[in-house]
Amino acid sequence: MFITQQVLTTLGWVVLALAISPMLWLLFQPYFRGLSPAERRASSLLRDMLTAEQCHQLIWRGYLEIPSPSTSQRVYRVPRTKGYVLVIEHGQAVMRLCIQPVECLPDADVVVLHKLMIEANEEYYLQNANKYLCAE
Amino acid sequence: MLRVMSRRGDDRVIWDQQKVLVGDPEATAAVREAERIFALERAKGATAFRVEPGKPIQRMDTFDETAEQIVLVPRVVGG
Repeated sequence: MFITQQVLTTLGWVVLALAISPMLWLLFQPYFRGLSPAERRASSLLRDMLTAEQCHQLIWRGYLEIPSPSTSQRVYRVPRTKGYVLVIEHGQAVMRLCIQPVECLPDADVVVLHKLMIEANEEYYLQNANKYLCAE
Repeated sequence: MLRVMSRRGDDRVIWDQQKVLVGDPEATAAVREAERIFALERAKGATAFRVEPGKPIQRMDTFDETAEQIVLVPRVVGG
């Protein structure tokens, strides 16, 4: 009886550990990934490219807002990690853009890539992005 | 300095423009190497940007050794 109870308790712990381990992995994966040399180098480039305010926005809000050089009242919201770039006009989200490098890059490098392309090559950037209109 | 984005973060080639001007062989070799990488990556579809503090970012079509910092980003495609 006692042994059965012990076995059941152990099994219960194993099931619990198996159930929560994916959640823990998802939670801590970005931190482990940030420890890689590639991510560290990419973060260094990102810090060189951003102002203090932009760094603050990226860390605390999870995105970087880049004003359009060609269209006033248009802002590109670039996420810190992979995802769509949101186009905001007059404070309203009007479009989502999906555009990515052909080579796999660290997340911080992808943010820099968006910033450089938007600020100095916006037309090409928009031509190449897949666009999804935001429904009202 | 030339910074090339890759899966390893960014690869860098650094040179001292003052030493290039006086014909320092190491600095000259670094510039030639940067120029070679620039041409190679551009041929693969990469875009180059001139990034200098306090100045707007500029797209570059030809290599300029006097640029303080050049960043090469790989070709982009719609996802």
